Amino acid sequence: MKRIDRRGFLKTGLTGAAGLAISPAVFDSKFTNQNNIITRTLGKTGMKVPVISFGVMRADNASLCKAAYENGIKLFDTANGYQNGNNETMLGNLFKDVPRDTFYLATKVKPAGVDREGKPGPQTTAEDFLARFETSLGRLQMKYVDILYVHDISNVELLNYKPIINALAQLKKEGKIKFAGFSTHRNEHIVIDAASSMNVYDVILTSYNFRHDNLDELNKAIRKAAAAGIGIVAMKTMAGGKLVNASAALKWALSNPDIHTTIPGMTAFDHLEVNLKVLSDINLTDQEKNDLVAHSANPGLYCGGCSKCVPTCPKNLPIPDLMRAYMYAYGYSNPLMAHSLLHELEVVGNPCKDCNECSVTCSRNFNVRNKIADISRLGSVPAEFLT
Amino acid sequence: MKRHFPLFSILLFLSFVSYAQDLNYPAMQGFSLKTNYPVYVPENLWDFINGAADNYLAYGFQDLHVAEYKKGKDIIKLEIYRHTDNINTFGIYSSERSPNFRFVNLGAQGYIADGAVNFFKGNYYVKIRTYSKKPKVVQVAETLAYKVADMLPGQTEMPALLSQFPSEGKKINEETYINQSVLGYSFLNKAFKALYQAGSDNFSIFLFENPSAGGTLQTVKAYLKAVGSDENIADEGKIVLNDKYNGTVFLAWKGTRMVMITGLAKDQSGIADRYASDILGSEM
Repeated sequence: MKRIDRRGFLKTGLTGAAGLAISPAVFDSKFTNQNNIITRTLGKTGMKVPVISFGVMRADNASLCKAAYENGIKLFDTANGYQNGNNETMLGNLFKDVPRDTFYLATKVKPAGVDREGKPGPQTTAEDFLARFETSLGRLQMKYVDILYVHDISNVELLNYKPIINALAQLKKEGKIKFAGFSTHRNEHIVIDAASSMNVYDVILTSYNFRHDNLDELNKAIRKAAAAGIGIVAMKTMAGGKLVNASAALKWALSNPDIHTTIPGMTAFDHLEVNLKVLSDINLTDQEKNDLVAHSANPGLYCGGCSKCVPTCPKNLPIPDLMRAYMYAYGYSNPLMAHSLLHELEVVGNPCKDCNECSVTCSRNFNVRNKIADISRLGSVPAEFLT
Repeated sequence: MKRHFPLFSILLFLSFVSYAQDLNYPAMQGFSLKTNYPVYVPENLWDFINGAADNYLAYGFQDLHVAEYKKGKDIIKLEIYRHTDNINTFGIYSSERSPNFRFVNLGAQGYIADGAVNFFKGNYYVKIRTYSKKPKVVQVAETLAYKVADMLPGQTEMPALLSQFPSEGKKINEETYINQSVLGYSFLNKAFKALYQAGSDNFSIFLFENPSAGGTLQTVKAYLKAVGSDENIADEGKIVLNDKYNGTVFLAWKGTRMVMITGLAKDQSGIADRYASDILGSEM
């Protein structure tokens, strides 16, 4: 390696915000504005959690998690699969020397062999599930985690699957998990409703946002689960929208008293600063309400595939697929993919041209007729222009 | 919103035609091939990998093709992720690798760990997984990986900027690329990171390559402002700062490049000097 002169850093010397410095090696668990932090009890677990927790999933900067902890966030949420385990390793290195009763850790393990319908398969075994959890526990350098979620349950068959339920019971008995739960972001209302009567799951992590499809059904299921003593944690509160007013979206989720905490993903200190304000103030301002109305009115391009529209179409058109073609063309600037899909669907020409009025209703308020009229023209473009 | 497809737009899109549209999955003797998965795009990647999707999206994920090879109860799953460019592909790959894995010569780099064979090549990040413990099935998974690597187009070299990191003390296979929010700052993007050990000291070096020297200065100014410094800066320089979030940070810049070093104490500026100057040029 080349040697250099030393005038650089030495000449310039120290500068900057020295008064704000904290030792990188020492944890200070004194919460900022601790008295103002709003907490809720996570169902029968009795865990008192601030309304904002930390979705660590793609945070790779331990300093960010540390700052969150020092400012009052207590629950950190990761998963066995995030960053192929590096996410858990980062958290483990951060918290290994911190008093264990000053924070909560939640992780998730996805059972192997679950099919596309969310049903368990031959490879969905307790042995595999337990082995994966042991790997997580090792990475986290902990004797136990506070919550272990079964990752991604969308089917009641998996919810009731005895090998996994028995594995959770075993881990509780061994003291390796305090509480058992599951995460869900498809068919949420169905699995949450079913879990309410099972007395197996202590906590549910569910997607929940102001744009959610089937919100009435989801709220009913959440109410039932919360009444049964299950702790409810909300994820995907931003509705996947980068332009969403983050603070408004969080406050909207927390306006439901059955939502006990939220786990917004954070990768930057400015995200953290926005979220910390919500820790002590969950009341929506008029501006935030207006922002939510504006965001709700803009359905975006993504069709959720609920298929409720299909029976309302007299021609029984594959509307979700056509909306997908529209998204390929306009959302991803990929007319070739849209063209391929249209031909796969055998849509050439406007299939709506014979209808004077459109009877289709869309749960996302898409103007389905206009979109189909628009995208179907691409099907008539000669393939040689695209391939 | 655009309401039609003028010919020039269609022609423009020709250059973006996805190779993945024409994937011809290798046949593996004795295994049936199932390809009836949807092509996942950014809007529905969550449906396949849940919360891990956000990390992929941050690295310019474009689409994902999935196939399954099955023989009896044994299944090998093949996932081919396409990202915007080679650097982003290295970014997602490196965020998921561990130096403890067994590295193999696959694509630009690959590894084998616990029934998984993962590698990246060009814009493609390939993940192959089996839960079978049978040695023959694991061997088929590895063979499949080599066939897929041969099939996919793209460069087989690591991103060039990685070669600028000094080798002395560098931890092997721990380099990463951070596309967004380096050190937790929204305005600090696109940095390669390498981990170092010098004696008992562990530290990190972040290397940024801006399109222009002016861009570098803007980034330096933004960082100085964020940490509360009113330092006047020249076209090139070195400063040591107290960052309230990240501790002591050594910052150096010259031309289109900027270096940040964390993990060293303020009295270790000699070490920071050596490494920063080695990257930026000895005349600093």
